[in-house]
Amino acid sequence: MEALLMVKQQLTQFYTRFEAYIVPVLKFLAMLFALLFIGSSVGFMTKLKNPAIILILSLLCSFLPTNVIVLAAGFVIVAHMYALSLECAVVILFIFVIMYALYFRFTPGDAIAVLLTPVCFAMHIPYVMPLAMGFVGNPISCISVGCGTAVYYILHYISENQDALSSGSSGELDVEGMLGGFKTVIDGILKNDLMIAMIVTFAATIIVVYLIRRLKINYSWQIALGAGMVVCFIVLIVSSSVLDADVGIGGAMVSLLISSLIVLVLQFFIFNVDYSRAEYVQFEDDEYYYYVKALPKITPDAPVSRTRRRTPSRDEMDFDDEDDY
Amino acid sequence: MLNEERIRLMTRMAAYEEHEGKKDIAISGYFRGDYISFQLLKSAIYATVGFALAVAMYVLYNMETFLEEFYKMDIVEFLKDILFKYCLVISIYLVISYFVYSYRYHKAKRHVKQYNQLLRALMQMINIGRRGRKQ
Repeated sequence: MEALLMVKQQLTQFYTRFEAYIVPVLKFLAMLFALLFIGSSVGFMTKLKNPAIILILSLLCSFLPTNVIVLAAGFVIVAHMYALSLECAVVILFIFVIMYALYFRFTPGDAIAVLLTPVCFAMHIPYVMPLAMGFVGNPISCISVGCGTAVYYILHYISENQDALSSGSSGELDVEGMLGGFKTVIDGILKNDLMIAMIVTFAATIIVVYLIRRLKINYSWQIALGAGMVVCFIVLIVSSSVLDADVGIGGAMVSLLISSLIVLVLQFFIFNVDYSRAEYVQFEDDEYYYYVKALPKITPDAPVSRTRRRTPSRDEMDFDDEDDY
Repeated sequence: MLNEERIRLMTRMAAYEEHEGKKDIAISGYFRGDYISFQLLKSAIYATVGFALAVAMYVLYNMETFLEEFYKMDIVEFLKDILFKYCLVISIYLVISYFVYSYRYHKAKRHVKQYNQLLRALMQMINIGRRGRKQ
């Protein structure tokens, strides 16, 4: 345990010192994985599958705000859809604008969740997202995780049915074919019971984890994780049976266990640690100009058995950091 | 002479101004009613755009039926139905927006109140320093 605490402390120190470089690298990796996933599942436009373009786009996004990254990923998906068929591109564009209007008004800060949810699905650990967002987000994070889930199932449906959805290359405008195409795409996307079951499950999990981890009881985070797992499993079974969705219960259970282990590790090393930012600020008074670099002080953690919960003093609570709704 | 306590206070305040403070100070510049009404108006525009696209998708989905039965269908009844659904959607969206933006306004006000307290403490320190220099 001592060794783990040391690692945790070193991680905090490392992050504090190199925050300016770590954040762009993480953004770069998130966009790279997202673009690779998009390319492998719906890579219909060969130009956008070019590794050089993927790298350039990811590099560009490493310096942009996360909301712009989500927008860029959305445009890449629409471009791939356009290469498949016009109907797909129009329907996907409409759905993305609806989702963006819904999500952007309430949870603009959760952009990274929209991006990472499909990536977690592709890695077969989708339950990481609701459990993790229950810890770091708030109940409204349901919207961003729900949008990410919908994006994954839309891409999955299109990659599975690409032959049926592709428009012929005859060059003639076939209105009847196009209308049929619209119907097929909308049917396939909106009448996906598994997608609805997963969105309901994730929403319930996020709310339960959030409510329990906010309780002022000992081990609230660990209890929240356990309760989140149980609720996730139960809601998944109930919603899939009600909606008649085909969920592999065995696979879901294994995935849920692996996801919980990952969240447990994340919780220890990331969520529970104060990665206070180093501040670089400038100000002046009557006598001086100040150029201050303020680094957060890191003190060694006390042994776990002796740690006690305490209420921070008024001085420590300046600009209290409650969850942002 | 550098006053360390004052520098600490100013650093903390400058860091707040740099990040959350920008948004909080802008929000607290509005009266509560004005801020919430403005946000509700923006929400209504977003909801209208979203609803219009959803209707467009519905029309595309049922285009064949529309083309075949255009002269038989009751347009007024259809529009009434759409209008009812629009009112329902926008009402739900606005109620949620109201709670979310009320909470945000309340939180920003609280933060700015804390910031003002620090500002007053800083002013006191500066005044004491000035008096000391005069003497």
